[in-house]
Amino acid sequence: MADRVILTIGTKKGVFVAEAAKARRSFTLRGPFGPGVPVYATLIDTRGTPRVYASSCNPFFGMKVLRSTDLGKTFKETKSAPAFPKDDGRAMANIWALEPGPGKRELWCGVEPASLFQSQDAGDSWELVPGISNHEHARKWNPGGGGLCLHTIIRDGNRVHIGISTGGHYLSEDGGVTFKASNQGVGAGFAPDPYPEFGQCVHKMARHDAAPGRLYMQNHGGWSDWTGPGGPRPDIGVLRSDDHGRSWRSIAKGLPSDFGFPIVVHPHDPDTVYVMPLEPATRSCPGSAPAVWRSETGGASWSRLARGLPKKQSYFTVLRDGMDIDQMKTPALYFGTTTGQLWIGREGGEQWDCLFHSLPPIHNVKVAIV
Amino acid sequence: MGPRPIITLHVPGALRAYCAGAAQLSISAHTVRDALEELEHTQAALYRNVCDETGRLRRHLNVFVNSDNVRDLDGIDTKLTPGDVVTILPAVSGG
Repeated sequence: MADRVILTIGTKKGVFVAEAAKARRSFTLRGPFGPGVPVYATLIDTRGTPRVYASSCNPFFGMKVLRSTDLGKTFKETKSAPAFPKDDGRAMANIWALEPGPGKRELWCGVEPASLFQSQDAGDSWELVPGISNHEHARKWNPGGGGLCLHTIIRDGNRVHIGISTGGHYLSEDGGVTFKASNQGVGAGFAPDPYPEFGQCVHKMARHDAAPGRLYMQNHGGWSDWTGPGGPRPDIGVLRSDDHGRSWRSIAKGLPSDFGFPIVVHPHDPDTVYVMPLEPATRSCPGSAPAVWRSETGGASWSRLARGLPKKQSYFTVLRDGMDIDQMKTPALYFGTTTGQLWIGREGGEQWDCLFHSLPPIHNVKVAIV
Repeated sequence: MGPRPIITLHVPGALRAYCAGAAQLSISAHTVRDALEELEHTQAALYRNVCDETGRLRRHLNVFVNSDNVRDLDGIDTKLTPGDVVTILPAVSGG
């Protein structure tokens, strides 16, 4: 019986694991594992016996995948990490995403430079997925501020949605064999053409099983004042699709900024979605007052959730994988900051408390009930 | 070209887990490049920590032959002589 809440916290100096009873009153912390080495991706795989995974992106010695079979009490390296074929010419720079695949022990992994790998044996061996990794557009993608990363992998039956910064949204309808750029309505502010076929700087995407066809996207916004070729591009930062990602429309009206990184959907209500608007120049919340914004109407309107968060002089950033929500009946949100704070938003984000205030800069937060 | 000289490769502590705990390895190699190729064949796990998929030395590692950084010699084509000591070190510096 699932009775514990587990958080993985990927940081600049290793991965931490926090654990609480279902009431979530207090969390105990263990780690760091892979100490001193940046962790950008974690996964709590709850299929069968839970396994916890973390990427370990060692700037000196290359990429590793860490695996725990005891809920994050100990970690060991898997037998290998994703690597490009020797004659490919690309070299692994980072691991950005770890997700369960369709097979029982199957994992999918998004990396930098933007490519997708699959493992059939829980991370011990990996193969490049050519349909997206060797896509005809692949050599034309460019790095965004975080590098050229394939950071979002969403599986929906035979559909696979991939988010690349900067490459845009790619859709497969054959289980990941072939992919097409699918960016109608997804704007770009850094190119003369405001709506290119591909090359957008998608920051994160999310979906809910109960809303077939619907997707939410946090895109790279903040271009309403642009005066160059193509003119201003307001509200291109927060988007929604209702046709499996074939076309997208803005849902940014009502937000204080359309720039941000994470986007998270409520576990029991596909109309409830959360973002953290940031000022594009500083990557901190408007007015230096942090807030998560929630829509309970699928993006038609937004409300500010900030009770318990600092009211001023706070300049942290929450990165693309820095926010998650648990699966409890009344879920809690969690976000980690670049200043090393881990916050919990109880009652669906109504009341915020800082769980840990002095961790290393946080890249990634995932939560599961186990 | 004569027989390959035997050199000693010092392994940094962080990498010893990838070569059964060895602190040093004896390798026959005419050049640093030869030594790395030898590692690829005989110590594949260690090699992956030192060179990336393209075969390039990882960016933040330094290789010394005796006390000289190969960057100041002939790079990985630096020639080796019997008894040379090759050391691989992370490029950690500054505060």
